Amino acid sequence: MLRYLARRLIQMIPLIFGVTLLSFIVIQLSPGDFLAEIRLNPVVSGETVDAMRRNFGLDQPLFIQYAKWLWRLLHLDFGFSFAYHVPVTWLIGSRLVNTLILNIAALVIAWLLAIPIGIHAATRQYSVSDNALSLTAYLGISTPSFFSGLLLLFVAFKTGWLPIGGMTSLDYDILPWYGKILDVGRHLVIPASVLGFGAAAGLMRQMRGNLLEVLRQDYVRTARSKGLAERPVIYKHAVRNAINPLITLFGFEIGGLLGGAAILENVVGWPGLGRLILEAVVQKDLYVVMGSLVIGSFTLVLGNLIADILLALSDPRIRYD
Amino acid sequence: MVRRATIYLMAGTLALAMAFIAGSLGAAPRLPDIPNPKVAAEAPEIGKYGGTYVISSISDFRTFNPVVSQDTASGLVTGAIFDGLVEQNYVTGEIEPALAESWTVSRDGKSWTFTLRQGIRWSDGKPLTIEDVLFTFQATFTPGVDTSNRDGLTFEGKPVRWRKLDERRIQFTTEKPIGLFLRFVGIEIVPKHKLQDALAKGGAEFSKTWGVNTPPRDIVGTGPYVLQSYVPGQRATLLRNTTYWKADRKGNRLPYLTRYIILIVPNVEAARLKFLSKETDAYSARPREFAELKQLEKQGNFTIYDGPESFGSEFLVLNQNPAGVSPPKLTWFQDVRFRRALNHAIDRNTIVQQIYAGRATLAWSAVSVGNKLFHNPRVQQYPYDLTRAQQLLAEAGYQKGTDGVLRDGQGNVIEFTISTNAGNPDREAIGNILRQDFTKLGMRVTFAPESFPTLVGKLTGTYKWEAIVIGLTGGIEPATGRNVWLSSGDLHMWRPNQKEPATDWEAEIDRLFEQTSAEVDQSKRKVLYNRFQEIVATQAPFMHFAYPKSQPALRNTLGNIKIGLQGATGELETRYYKTVFK
Amino acid sequence: MARAALPRSARLSQAQELAVSAARTPRALAWRQLRKHRIALIGGAILAGLYTLALLADFVAPYSLDLADRERFFHPPTLPRFVDDEGKVHLRPFVYATVLADPGLRVYRENTNRQYPLMVFVRGEPYRLFWIFPTYVHLFGVEPPARIYLMGTDQFGRDLFTRILYGSRVSLVIGILALCVTIPIGLVYGGIAGYYGGRVDNVMMRLVEVIIAFPAFYLFLTLSAVLPTNVGCTTRFYLLVLILSFIGWAGFSRLIRGFVLSLKEQEFVLAARAIGQSDLRIIVHHVLPNTSSLVIVVATLSVPGAILGESGLSFLGFGIREPCASWGNLLSAGANLVNLSRSPWLLLPGLFIVLAVVAYNFLGDGLRDAFDPRLRTGSGG
Repeated sequence: MLRYLARRLIQMIPLIFGVTLLSFIVIQLSPGDFLAEIRLNPVVSGETVDAMRRNFGLDQPLFIQYAKWLWRLLHLDFGFSFAYHVPVTWLIGSRLVNTLILNIAALVIAWLLAIPIGIHAATRQYSVSDNALSLTAYLGISTPSFFSGLLLLFVAFKTGWLPIGGMTSLDYDILPWYGKILDVGRHLVIPASVLGFGAAAGLMRQMRGNLLEVLRQDYVRTARSKGLAERPVIYKHAVRNAINPLITLFGFEIGGLLGGAAILENVVGWPGLGRLILEAVVQKDLYVVMGSLVIGSFTLVLGNLIADILLALSDPRIRYD
Repeated sequence: MVRRATIYLMAGTLALAMAFIAGSLGAAPRLPDIPNPKVAAEAPEIGKYGGTYVISSISDFRTFNPVVSQDTASGLVTGAIFDGLVEQNYVTGEIEPALAESWTVSRDGKSWTFTLRQGIRWSDGKPLTIEDVLFTFQATFTPGVDTSNRDGLTFEGKPVRWRKLDERRIQFTTEKPIGLFLRFVGIEIVPKHKLQDALAKGGAEFSKTWGVNTPPRDIVGTGPYVLQSYVPGQRATLLRNTTYWKADRKGNRLPYLTRYIILIVPNVEAARLKFLSKETDAYSARPREFAELKQLEKQGNFTIYDGPESFGSEFLVLNQNPAGVSPPKLTWFQDVRFRRALNHAIDRNTIVQQIYAGRATLAWSAVSVGNKLFHNPRVQQYPYDLTRAQQLLAEAGYQKGTDGVLRDGQGNVIEFTISTNAGNPDREAIGNILRQDFTKLGMRVTFAPESFPTLVGKLTGTYKWEAIVIGLTGGIEPATGRNVWLSSGDLHMWRPNQKEPATDWEAEIDRLFEQTSAEVDQSKRKVLYNRFQEIVATQAPFMHFAYPKSQPALRNTLGNIKIGLQGATGELETRYYKTVFK
Repeated sequence: MARAALPRSARLSQAQELAVSAARTPRALAWRQLRKHRIALIGGAILAGLYTLALLADFVAPYSLDLADRERFFHPPTLPRFVDDEGKVHLRPFVYATVLADPGLRVYRENTNRQYPLMVFVRGEPYRLFWIFPTYVHLFGVEPPARIYLMGTDQFGRDLFTRILYGSRVSLVIGILALCVTIPIGLVYGGIAGYYGGRVDNVMMRLVEVIIAFPAFYLFLTLSAVLPTNVGCTTRFYLLVLILSFIGWAGFSRLIRGFVLSLKEQEFVLAARAIGQSDLRIIVHHVLPNTSSLVIVVATLSVPGAILGESGLSFLGFGIREPCASWGNLLSAGANLVNLSRSPWLLLPGLFIVLAVVAYNFLGDGLRDAFDPRLRTGSGG
């Protein structure tokens, strides 16, 4: 097992290298750079813009820019943001926790919804309630996130129950510790629900499928024929086995934690990584984009690894050498 | 004996009374530490102390360093924390004293001497000295510092020179008289004692100092507010500066408000929503929203004001640059009769109705109607008239054939592409309207929006474009837009970076700008600007569409609201809450 | 054969049904299972309807794609009515003409003096039916100056119903076209990697993993931001298809490769190898056809992803651009709070997106259940 782990970790290195190269190429493909906006300011002269370009190192040939960036990366220096004049690490760090909070909340909601609903749907395959639940779940994933986010914001506005976007209230700093948790929680309701609902649907389907498969297994039939009541059969034996593969999904979810939700963060104004990256892509803030892509890929790969490990741990049939 | 004593007594009492009355009426208010504070003259009311004022900003702040700051969002914070030697009156547009209490200009117009106001302290208690002013200008001109303030202080390639005269006075000298000097010299002054170490390490290091990752108490300024906290991506909270150097007419130290909070919201929709749900107190509505928000005034306890027009507008520009376009297109675009005919085919009324819901004024001049100082209403106008346009085209040799297609004298079909930056719905809408009307004239016009950086690259780099719909913002002095109007300018979009003016009228504009730059007398500058606007309207290199009005909305609980230029509603330091409960 | 011997109308006992089912192909078994899943069939029917509308868009739409009525922007929907202003009922549905009463508040006033009956097979803007036959005939319409805006107009005065119909062509097809590129490439790449295994597999999968490791949405975003923006609508559409394929083929290859890895140890493959068939023949004739069920299921489940991805991109301004229409950019243009309260009809494209995606998901689910022999009901277990 340890050898397998070590091998996988070593394999990650060329992978990350490949990802960085791909990001750099992709970003450089489009014309223009960060200074486009300043260029159109009537007060600023062309020479000043050229001087800025030199300061940022944007006038050097591409492979030199890439090489320099890679070298700094090896020292865990992600470079500076053109727009903010602060280190990329600080910029990402200031938003990272917020995105993590949102995604963890969404995960919790997703799992709390998906497991019971999946069980219910599997035990009543093709019934009316199965279809109805599936329908509701699918509505969750079928609506574009910005649309549902917008609708929920509107509802929040009309009813006044929930804050409209943002993560903390104006008086957050003077609240006691439990007040702070409550405050963030209230702001989390809308974005986490939208995300959680979407994730729940996929999980629910998986749960339903797995449970269906397990229920047809011989040992379940044996338990039933032994005269055990239906409920313990389902909950003690079947569900436990059905959940197992879902644990590996958990690993993938960790990997996806930093990835998505960019659009949703934009709509509800959640101060997370997604908004930062979107802005950076639009403005061509080169090092911010590359830094975020590297971190995003890293967590994804790490998540995959965790998923595989969890799978190996939980399923004794799998052997890795 | 008694009679004379009584007379003396009465005279003395009278004198005393008069002195007392004179003293309380006409004497300037004093603050304990500042002998000559600036009095906020524009504010109509005397306010109450207390309260929190919340506004929203669509972008996050990029830096707290005023030398480096170039975007509007950062300007919201640095504008509240720092001051310059002079500032602009938001109602009249005139330049007024700020950190400098007075200035003089030499007879030849080449030397400007500013005298610092006494008693001003930085928010950490240290006094403001002439050294800080010198330091700020030195930092602005240090190579490697990422600032755009340099260009305004560089005239014909030579930076302005400055020197310290004594502990309170600084003198600036220019090669030739610069009438506009006051408009550029008001850059925000930073404390030498906090930033000199950073500057010593070089320009690049200085640019990174006082970024958004700085602890708030390190940001030290002279302005009405001090930074208390910044939560990235969420908000900045500022607190009242208790040693600020402005007072109201009664001698109360400004500002009135205790807290000033800037919320970061993701887009305009969210800003509007927060305003309607009373989380913020101000909102700059778009023209389309005016009628609807007016109906919500009572419910939301706010007033939406019918503001004046902004200084910037969208316009159509045709490429007259031989480096970017070849004949026959070049011939058409360089033909002023062609341009004038096109101008008559622009349906400005539809643009005003559809895009601005009627809240815009037709634009005939390059200087906005809202610019009360310099707008010239007497310029050539081009009312929407397709028949007239067709007629003008025919007179210039562009005939519409029996197949309905317009051709020039050599039989070439008139076809070209209009571009703009994608994602801007107003510009895309205008482009569509133009395309439809020009097509009615028999031209084959395509409308193709493209990404902003690509567009800028074409405008300033490759020059390979044909027609573009774009907009520029404007300052109150047209001469600050030198890069656009001088034939040698690199934003002289239709034909940039000319070594010598290509046409007589461009040469005349160059001369006019040279004269306005040197002219210190504002009324004489106005005459020159009038002529400039006439030329631009007649030659039509830019075809402006309309100047949209502003419609600021403010909560009714706020006081000292007076609408100024471009819809500004008042000064931050004189704003107050009529009833204070938060 | 057992099938031919049984009359169709005869009812089969369970045992006989078992016997019959044993002789059917996996395809037929799947179809039978699918028929049980009623919701999946409904999904399929909805999709069939949507695609038909897309095919006949020019015919069904009363107006052309970019016809802008400058005097009727943000016009509310004009549905045909049967009852007029005075309460009289008419057999033939009609509409009233409208004029702009208040430009600031976008209020329109009906002119109840004259009724304009709804007409079918009217003469309208010319177009080419099925892109071949030039014609003028549209399904329905009304005489000008009345307008039939079934779903209202947008800020330029363009009929939303027309734009939704044309937009369906983009949204419904983008995913399918992307699949047409992804599936062949994925099959070949994954097939080869899975079949040969070992070194070859290792190297091939490394490249795939780099692409998979990339957060998909950001790859989509950055690649779309890179597209030249002065290309025409159709070109941009094809470029977006290419980008979608580029992102999708990696995951698909890995799936195929995993499947092939398990398949290649099965007996029919070993047998084919034993009789000396070439590797290529084995891959193409034996292995790949067995992946068909997997392919079908993945296909039905990835098309909705493409629809949603395109709508997300359009929201950010990188998807299909004006003046072309796609459900994504129609929804993005309409989805703001001002419209929610004043012109809510502009959010109707969202309904279409949800409908199509839900339909695809149900169909895909049904297909997956149908092809998975472990989930069969009514035959053993």
